[in-house]
Amino acid sequence: MIPGSQPTDTDSERELELYFGPQHLGMVGNFSITLKVRGDRIVEATANPGYLHRGFEKLMEYRTWMQNFPLVCRVNVVEPDSMEMIYAMGVEKLAGLEVPERAQYIRSIYLELARVGSHLFGLWAYSNMLGFDTPAQWAMYHRDLVLDLFEELTGGRVYHIYLWPGGVRRDFPEGFKDRIVETLHSIGGCVPDYDSTFFNNRLFHQRAHGIAKISQERAKALGATGQVLRATGMRYDIRKVEPYAAYDQVDWEVPTREEGDAYSRIWVIRDEMIESVHMIFKLLDAMPGGEVYNRVPNPFKWEIPPGETYVRCESSRGELGLYMVSDGGDKPYRVHFRTPSYPHGLTILEELLKGASIADVGNTMISLYIVAPEIDR
Amino acid sequence: MISSLKSSLESTFKDVAVGEPEAGRLSVLAPKDSLPVVLRYLKENGLDHLALLSCVDWPERGKFEVVYVLSCYMPSNTDYASEQRLHVFVKAEIPREHPALQSVIDVFENAEPYEREIHELFGVHFAGHPRLIPLFLEREYEIPPFRKDFDTRQYVAETFDPIPPVDE
Repeated sequence: MIPGSQPTDTDSERELELYFGPQHLGMVGNFSITLKVRGDRIVEATANPGYLHRGFEKLMEYRTWMQNFPLVCRVNVVEPDSMEMIYAMGVEKLAGLEVPERAQYIRSIYLELARVGSHLFGLWAYSNMLGFDTPAQWAMYHRDLVLDLFEELTGGRVYHIYLWPGGVRRDFPEGFKDRIVETLHSIGGCVPDYDSTFFNNRLFHQRAHGIAKISQERAKALGATGQVLRATGMRYDIRKVEPYAAYDQVDWEVPTREEGDAYSRIWVIRDEMIESVHMIFKLLDAMPGGEVYNRVPNPFKWEIPPGETYVRCESSRGELGLYMVSDGGDKPYRVHFRTPSYPHGLTILEELLKGASIADVGNTMISLYIVAPEIDR
Repeated sequence: MISSLKSSLESTFKDVAVGEPEAGRLSVLAPKDSLPVVLRYLKENGLDHLALLSCVDWPERGKFEVVYVLSCYMPSNTDYASEQRLHVFVKAEIPREHPALQSVIDVFENAEPYEREIHELFGVHFAGHPRLIPLFLEREYEIPPFRKDFDTRQYVAETFDPIPPVDE
């Protein structure tokens, strides 16, 4: 029922159950929500993950430390690189491995490129869902330029398996620095176009302002991280809170907003993308020479001493954590990923959809920046 | 902050064992009945972020180890402090036969899906959970599939090998 209107005893006031997704235009990825609606207002929402549950954490217990890399990068399809990073960090921590300084810089550059690519993909999803087809096509094209860089560096476009314990797989090829700069300049040159067609567009403001608003108190209580929390004003970013790789070597800012709604979340994503590009330039300038990996033991016979650890990094969607236990063997004993979409897509989504209209379900979901394979794992 | 937290925990709770396995991390082993109280105490003392709730199966010891990973949000919106790098592992050991725990949703609301997941994948019952229904899986399993005695390869062979291949 629309707030403020008189209750009427018509058929539209009956409570209905609606299945939203997994086959739905407003749904990104294999995920579904069961909605209880009255008229076009949502009374209750239940998130149904599980369409992409591949049991990776169990499968990893059957594979050696090194064999797990092709699995971990598939946990988050859109941004596999931070998954590689977190797993490499976990193995390094348990095994007590050091990473050379140059490799730390390469890791940061690589992860920031991945963040730009992932945000461009998110921008495609969001603007496409709202019907802004032009900036959506641009974003997809610009993401492809970033993927070209990854292809040159690693041989793969989507899954790269470039980071590994002790460093990175190989050094930058000849002239790669220049091509990074060139690509980022050609993307950055289009920011005014994005702004005029999308970010400063009044239609975007009307469609997103005040939608799926969450206060900082509730965001903290429900375990939010990433843009969801930064859009409420808190500069919570693991790259600053607990710096890893080379993030403490250069100056950079954490963009925030105050309102906590879909509009401010998308603006945080935009500002973050620009900040990442500036950070890559600074990192490229400051990058030292030297080795890019430290030798690891023979991966077929590599046994890691017993222990447990929790490591975390900032993926493009929020705090990405890994709880890993070793029993002294050549395989992980237990692996558990703390993915940012897990609280965002389950607890927070269910809360924010209460009282929303059906037309805003896709808007809410994509502005929370949920990626379904991360929830299911 | 770590040493003061350690001593205040030890003086407040007589039945918990507090260790510092590495710099910046505390490990608190609590009896399962005092878990909600210990978690609430830690939450009120700055560890307001339940990052993860996990479970480890140790069949030789006949135990499940349920692990709550706590860390801190920022006390103010803008300032970073080294205390934020603190992690606390709160652990409870429960027997593998009829494993059950008290739900902590009233302390940390975001524990809700994690408890559902652990109930589904390890068979741990959480008393007081409002909807302990399956989260990911669609089949019924005799042994919850993330326990160590569930053999994935054997299950796949028994379940899917009898299905005849599609004729060309």
